[in-house]
Amino acid sequence: MTGRKPFLDALVAWLRPDDVLISCLGANARWLPHLPVRSPVFAMCDSMSAAIPLALGVALTRPDRHVIALEGDGSLLMSPNVLATVAAARPANLTTILWVNGHYESSGGQSLPPAPVDWPALARAAGIARVETVTEPGALAQALDGARAAREPTVLVLPIAFDPAEEIPPYSERPEEITARFRL
Amino acid sequence: MTGAGRIVAGLESAGVTLAASVPDTWIGKLMAEVRRSPHLRAVDVAREEEAVAVACGVNLAGGRGAVLIQNAGLLNCGGILGGLVALYRLPCFFIVSLRGDARDPIFYHQPKGKVTEATLKAWGLAYALADRSGDLAAQVRTGVEAAAAARAPYVLLISGEDLA
Repeated sequence: MTGRKPFLDALVAWLRPDDVLISCLGANARWLPHLPVRSPVFAMCDSMSAAIPLALGVALTRPDRHVIALEGDGSLLMSPNVLATVAAARPANLTTILWVNGHYESSGGQSLPPAPVDWPALARAAGIARVETVTEPGALAQALDGARAAREPTVLVLPIAFDPAEEIPPYSERPEEITARFRL
Repeated sequence: MTGAGRIVAGLESAGVTLAASVPDTWIGKLMAEVRRSPHLRAVDVAREEEAVAVACGVNLAGGRGAVLIQNAGLLNCGGILGGLVALYRLPCFFIVSLRGDARDPIFYHQPKGKVTEATLKAWGLAYALADRSGDLAAQVRTGVEAAAAARAPYVLLISGEDLA
């Protein structure tokens, strides 16, 4: 199983300047300032579970932009209800990337409750018809192309390895800097 | 015009384009009026924290969003008010049904009514009680503008009487 960083690199390479990236807290938000992201980014350092509904608000307000929400399995387990909210709102321009590593990585690597959650099935059961599992970084761009073209909400499930020894940069941006820089 | 109609007129004139909501009996009546507006999009969410994030997303994207929920839902929102709204200094306008005060005929709302204003004060949130004898639309506009100016939450508490 691949780690997070090759997938994140593939995502960053795929993004266009007119896309919008909303990131959950943790490793994604800590890596992104160090990557050549061409699109506006709002990366959080707190607010578990906020990424998808925040991205939904952006997507509904700017239907001309494709919005990508990054969320972790721990955050989504806390609020899986948001999948039904997205299914009901049916934004044509929202893609959610769900990182699945079974751990609360940003709080010390504790395990999630050891339930065998079937994430694609959970998303489908909530009403999101377009769900795809991506297991190789080399396949992510094609999956994202498909999500962009589909004009319906999409969830891409990315099973990734949990590596407690991964050297992730610390948070390097202040929240007020992130808000001030985010312009569409 | 009903009070609900005047509140929605206030949202429209303040430039709000999206209302995210979990309904109760009162907020449901208000959302019915929202759904009749050609200028507002109603977004039904499953939990109140989602409504806050959706409205903040609207504001981040250059629009104006509003959160329409019951006070029970507002009490759920302490985490996201701290971890998103306050941390990133985002405007967030709320219309909240104040269940359990002396005007509410339903007994089981009373515990929430007893703590709502105290909680708003403890959280340091700007708020006002709607006054149906005055200009409700202006009260809504005042709240929306206050949230935008302060880049912070503003809560307008309403009663069922205000919607009539």
